[in-house]
Amino acid sequence: MKTNDRRTRLLKWTSGILILILLVVAPIFLPDYWLHVSIISLFYALMASSWSLLAGYAGLFSLAHIAFMGIGAYTSGLLGYYLGVPPVLGIIVGTLASGFVGLIIGFLCLRLKSTYLALFTIAFAEILRIVIKSEHMFTRGDKGLRLDPIFPDTISRVPYYYLILALLLVCLAFMFWIVRSRIGIFLRAIREDETAAAARGVDVVKYKILAFIITSMIAGLAGGFYAHYTSIITPNIMVLLQMDLLLAMAIIGGMESLVAAAIGGFIIEYSLEVLRVLEFWRMVAFGVLLVVTLRFAQNGLIAPLLNRIYGGGPKAELRKREEEAA
Amino acid sequence: MDYFLSLVISGLTIGIIYSLMALGLTLIYSILRVINFAHGEFYMLGGYASYYILTAFVGIPPLLGVPLAGLVVMSIGMLLERALLRPMHLGKIERPGEYAILITLGLSFVIQNLALAIFGPYPVRPPSFLEGTFDLGILKISADRTVAAFFSLLLLAALYYLITYTWLGKALRAVSQDKDAASVVGINQLSMNSIAFGMGAGLAAVSGALLAPIFSVIPTSGALPGIRSYVIVVLGGLGSIPGSVLGGLILGLVENLVTGYLPDINRAVTYKNVFGLIIFAIILLVRPRGLLGREE
Repeated sequence: MKTNDRRTRLLKWTSGILILILLVVAPIFLPDYWLHVSIISLFYALMASSWSLLAGYAGLFSLAHIAFMGIGAYTSGLLGYYLGVPPVLGIIVGTLASGFVGLIIGFLCLRLKSTYLALFTIAFAEILRIVIKSEHMFTRGDKGLRLDPIFPDTISRVPYYYLILALLLVCLAFMFWIVRSRIGIFLRAIREDETAAAARGVDVVKYKILAFIITSMIAGLAGGFYAHYTSIITPNIMVLLQMDLLLAMAIIGGMESLVAAAIGGFIIEYSLEVLRVLEFWRMVAFGVLLVVTLRFAQNGLIAPLLNRIYGGGPKAELRKREEEAA
Repeated sequence: MDYFLSLVISGLTIGIIYSLMALGLTLIYSILRVINFAHGEFYMLGGYASYYILTAFVGIPPLLGVPLAGLVVMSIGMLLERALLRPMHLGKIERPGEYAILITLGLSFVIQNLALAIFGPYPVRPPSFLEGTFDLGILKISADRTVAAFFSLLLLAALYYLITYTWLGKALRAVSQDKDAASVVGINQLSMNSIAFGMGAGLAAVSGALLAPIFSVIPTSGALPGIRSYVIVVLGGLGSIPGSVLGGLILGLVENLVTGYLPDINRAVTYKNVFGLIIFAIILLVRPRGLLGREE
């Protein structure tokens, strides 16, 4: 078994490094349009993986993830528009603001079980969207809020590409660390049985709120980046259909694995661009794929694939435990 | 005073149609224990169904399109229930609670995009039930709205009869109170699930068809009514039938009074939905069982 372990570890590292190199050199070969698509896809990868931490690990089915992205985007946008705050500072403030609202929402949601949580977060997201849309004297509503570029000296997309790649990798590493630490175990325990977890001494309140804060901050960060990259935002980035799309990405990837959800987000956004000729039918196709995945492959399509290649996943864990017991 | 009264009347006429849609959601919830996140999409399908029925069979009275649309969407709902929700009740799904939320959300995503692909993004409007307006002295109310409200009232009465006195209604109530005891006395729970889901979808479709001549239909026009019916059922109490009727009337009133009395008219129109949502959020936090819901 030892050699097998070493082999999978070697496989993991080499393929990981290969993919990383591929991602780093990609801008040299990609035409401008596809570079843009890659940037947006990496953004969705970040959003999908952070939602999977909240829903897949902690079992908190929040439908407000898009709203937190909007908070990050609009905080930075409004600060820049009215006070001339530079983009980087704006994004940082937006991330913090998003985390703060996440704290409040997490606190309010403590008593709400699955369905009620979903309903409450829909209500929150819609209230926020409608308020931003209605207060157009302040937020410019559907006319769109203009934002300054992060890199004002160049019109090239390459720096944005490396920035979002770095953000994705750092956030993934951070979330990975959380999932692997005791916090990850606590979160999964809460998901399986809240009462039992509390009985074994898990501070349910603290970790549920923490999960909300962390994932909201990541969504806010992603939103800030997205807003400054596209340089114009409207409340339409927060419609429920966008949330559904995000959900589809995380679920088709496999929401119980951060990497699988990220890959799901990347691949789906990319294929949506590739299949542009199909217009609305591509969305129908992804919707059907989502429903079929939910019905027949609840662990997603990419997560089981990763498990098969690299080992790991619930089956491998079970085998390991049996061996240890034997 | 007249102004206030006219707002109340128009609030109640629209509220009764909201009630009808919310009642569908309640019916589904009390039997299947599932919140149907695709409810707004059935509303939208109802509007399209009546439009296409009325264009296909020119000459039939427009009001006949409403029950027909309801029946069409009801059969669609029953098929979808069988394909997607039945496995959950047969124990084939690992986490049924999560599955129910995600699968109905997925369904709403599919239906909405399918509607965009098939019907296109431009609004369609089925013919009016009755042209013109009624003059009640204090307000003029469009004939369409009046007809729609009366139709809803009749349907609510019929539903009341069905639920209270018929075998089907008793069986449905039995399942909602105690699944196991209902199976013991020979009620097939799986077929009750199908019927309840179909009826729920059909009710959403009927209210969609009733409002289609007034507001027109586009593929996304189900989103707001969908959210509105979540607000109503939570306000009235999840699973409570009188609660959803009461909730619908209250929401209709609140929306109309807020729009009527806020000084800034533009803001009032956009904010009328926010007020419902704020009530909703507060109810969820303070009294999750709603006004008339029972303790779980």
